[in-house]
Amino acid sequence: MHKLGRGHRDKLQQFITITGASEKLALQALKASDWHLEGAFDFFYSQPQLKTFTDSRHLEELYNRYKDAYVDMILADGITLLCNDIQVDPQDIVMLVLSWHMKAGTMCEFSKKEFIEGLQSLGIDSLEKFREKIPYMRSELKDEQKFREIYNFAFGWAKEKGQKSLALDTAIGMWQLLFAEKQWPLVDHWCQFLQARHNKAISRDTWSQLLEFAKTVGSNLSDYDAEGAWPYLIDEFVEYLNENGIIQNDLINDSSLKR
Amino acid sequence: MSMSERKTIDLDQGWDFMQKGILKLKNILEGLPEPQFSSEDYMMLYTTIYNMCTQKPPHDYSQQLYDKYRESFEEYIVSTVLPSLREKHDEFMLRELVKRWANHKIMVRWLSRFFHYLDRYFIARRSLPPLNEVGLTCFRDLVYKELNGKVRDAVISLIDQEREGEQIDRALLKNVLDIFVEIGMGQMDHYENDFEAAMLKDTSAYYSRKASNWILEDSCPDYMLKAEECLKREKDRVAHYLHSSSEPKLLEKVQHELLSVYANQLLEKEHSGCHALLRDDKVEDLSRMFRLFSKIPRGLDPVSSIFKQHVTAEGMALVKLAEDAVSTKKAEKKDIVGLQEQVFVRKVIELHDKYLAYVNDCFQNHTLFHKALKEAFEIFCNKGVAGSSSAELLATFCDNILKKGGSEKLSDEAIEETLEKVVKLLAYISDKDLFAEFYRKKLARRLLFDKSANDDHERSILTKLKQQCGGQFTSKMEGMVTDLTLAKENQTSFEEYLTNNPNADPGIDLTVTVLTTGFWPSYKSFDLNLPAEMVRCVEVFKEFYQTKTKHRKLTWIYSLGTCNISGKFDPKTVELIVTTYQASALLLFNSSDRLSYSEIMTQLNLSDDDVIRLLHSLSCAKYKILNKEPNTKTISSTDYFEFNSKFTDKMRRIKIPLPPVDEKKKVIEDVDKDRRYAIDASIVRIMKSRKVLSYQQLVMECVEQLGRMFKPDVKAIKKRIEDLISRDYLERDKDNANLFRYLA
Repeated sequence: MHKLGRGHRDKLQQFITITGASEKLALQALKASDWHLEGAFDFFYSQPQLKTFTDSRHLEELYNRYKDAYVDMILADGITLLCNDIQVDPQDIVMLVLSWHMKAGTMCEFSKKEFIEGLQSLGIDSLEKFREKIPYMRSELKDEQKFREIYNFAFGWAKEKGQKSLALDTAIGMWQLLFAEKQWPLVDHWCQFLQARHNKAISRDTWSQLLEFAKTVGSNLSDYDAEGAWPYLIDEFVEYLNENGIIQNDLINDSSLKR
Repeated sequence: MSMSERKTIDLDQGWDFMQKGILKLKNILEGLPEPQFSSEDYMMLYTTIYNMCTQKPPHDYSQQLYDKYRESFEEYIVSTVLPSLREKHDEFMLRELVKRWANHKIMVRWLSRFFHYLDRYFIARRSLPPLNEVGLTCFRDLVYKELNGKVRDAVISLIDQEREGEQIDRALLKNVLDIFVEIGMGQMDHYENDFEAAMLKDTSAYYSRKASNWILEDSCPDYMLKAEECLKREKDRVAHYLHSSSEPKLLEKVQHELLSVYANQLLEKEHSGCHALLRDDKVEDLSRMFRLFSKIPRGLDPVSSIFKQHVTAEGMALVKLAEDAVSTKKAEKKDIVGLQEQVFVRKVIELHDKYLAYVNDCFQNHTLFHKALKEAFEIFCNKGVAGSSSAELLATFCDNILKKGGSEKLSDEAIEETLEKVVKLLAYISDKDLFAEFYRKKLARRLLFDKSANDDHERSILTKLKQQCGGQFTSKMEGMVTDLTLAKENQTSFEEYLTNNPNADPGIDLTVTVLTTGFWPSYKSFDLNLPAEMVRCVEVFKEFYQTKTKHRKLTWIYSLGTCNISGKFDPKTVELIVTTYQASALLLFNSSDRLSYSEIMTQLNLSDDDVIRLLHSLSCAKYKILNKEPNTKTISSTDYFEFNSKFTDKMRRIKIPLPPVDEKKKVIEDVDKDRRYAIDASIVRIMKSRKVLSYQQLVMECVEQLGRMFKPDVKAIKKRIEDLISRDYLERDKDNANLFRYLA
């Protein structure tokens, strides 16, 4: 049996905890990155996932367990039951990640095709495997590229069917959920601004550009380009921050932190 | 018989003979008593040189004679000329120099003639400098080089004396300076290097001293008078005794010291500078300022800048004056709001006339001043007054001139001239589309209610607007005017139709004006329940119209109609001129004595706003055709109305006005909506041709495309871009959020 040093064993355990990967895969990733955790994550996520064989019959059984009695779909009650079975809160962001894997067209609904193909892509055909996969799906939010995909997926998923824009209340809820994962300091100010000044639905363009804004513009907004192509609403937000002296407060906070 | 041989002349012997001739010449030059050369003397001297040059070697003395020619000058200069010059100073030295130079040239000429044979053969064969040149070179090398510095200083000193107003001998200076030129023998280098450079330097110093005093002592106009006078005198100086090539350099120095160095100080003098001259309308001084400053590099920039500031300030003062006047009137609650705005436009026209004359006259049509004027007017002409945009004010001003009974009584010529000026002002207004919409609204009112005073003026202003803003700008308006002409013809046809068709009988007199949708402002078209008498009219006209065209649809706009009604009141019959709505309401009382508010609304099929406005005009205003219960000033939905049979008026014919709806808000809303469409169309047009374009480029092209009609706000463009993204006309590039792609 190959013996690992304590440091390596700790890193292995940490990697497994975060990604939910098997010990074998974790070991492979860590070795490939010379035992640097960051590199290991990159390696792990850049590898094409080997499709695990899934049992079609078991998937059918799972689907039938949750499907609605009258409609050939899984609806809110079915989803609630599913969350109960896999021991996840329905409000948990991991359900968004799951919906992303399933390519779900709308919130609180999974078609049979979405459900079965989604679980197949995740290599899940039993509740045990489902539970095992939760940490993996949660860890995907840490990957920059996947977060962006999930974030942009969330817009279509959360908006009302047939609408082009996302209702403001829903958008605010989603932002609070998503930025809890991404730590954008201005998210609360942004939500307050929208309720105070905008009070209308959010366009897809504004939604996707806000993520870029959060990523590329520092929280003191010193590198914000007012002449740039930012959506109108973001321009208004920056103006709002300046008017209310919020930026000054942040500057002071930054100075305090530096001291 | 044999020829006797010519006797050989020895060098010393020959030269002795020549010496006598040269001495004679010197005596003449010195003014000593000496008879003139006789032709025999001349021939003997010439022949001696000839003989000495043509004798057989070793008696050919060409070279020696050539050398002695030069030595003759040198000896004379050293022994006679220089001493006479060295002993003298300043002006006396100059006079002596002029005399000596003149004498020298005579000496060169005579000796060259004596020694002429050398030029023809010896000098030509040996390629030596010619005799003339040798002679002049002697003077240059011996006299000029020693004295030119002193001469220069003396000349410059005299120039400065003349500048101080003293009388000097100009001819003397001209002669002296000619020496500098002639010494150059075709080149100007001696004049330029030995005299002109120092003269220019002295000129700079002189005027620098003068300017530093004048700028402190003089007012701007006085300073400019002096500057102009100095330039004139320096130009005069060139004409009298400086070489003409000096003029541009000399003037440039003077201009620099008097104007360039002190430009800002001069222009900004507190009580007499450019601003004060403009304030006090000192056109002569301003003209002089233009002439002077146009000569120095970028000299007009500060003048035009001050001009622009001044005009802007004058314009802003008019704006403020009008604002204050409107506030005062409102405080007094007088009902002539609007008059002040018209006065404002009139004053702006006068201001433009005044300063356009300045640009054309004082500032000689210079582009910088046209630009300054334009920019100044663009600033304050877009301010608006008392909540009305300048676009609206101009449209109202035109309306006031063009309509019957306007507040101004102008001759035809004055009207044309004023309209011309208004159209010119329009060039300065950013929101031309807003002007067009307000103008169209008022034009419609003039045309439809027969308020237009003169058809020719209506067409004339459209021609002017078309020239300035393009055919698209006026096409709707022209369509409106044309519609009215066609409507008259149509009415004639209708009357013929009625004559030819006895069965087609409207029952009452009927005039219909057919309008083309799209030309005219949009009007509300309610489905008013017409009285039976009027329904008949509509049907008859429809039948007529069908005979002319089968494919057009008529939409009736009763809100624009007018009726004449005979009101049979107990005291006497009064003819009432009312709108169609008012007439419809009144006719209800032919069959009902008393009607409630809701009954009237139901029977007419109008909205609350319209009914309230309508009934108010008939029961609460000046002419109370209806009695209202309760007898209050405002209409409420619980009121009742009765015909007021006791109504009377001293006039037999009265017009009952319907209070005008405030259209300003609607016009502005319409224009905003049109602008959104215009921006969308522009963006789509640009992206369709470009396919991929950066945000900055798109905004820039959009502003450029639309700038002729209005100045789009960048925020408005950004909003339209986002809307077009939502509607899937555009998308952002996946990798570069600043880049937009057109979606087919």
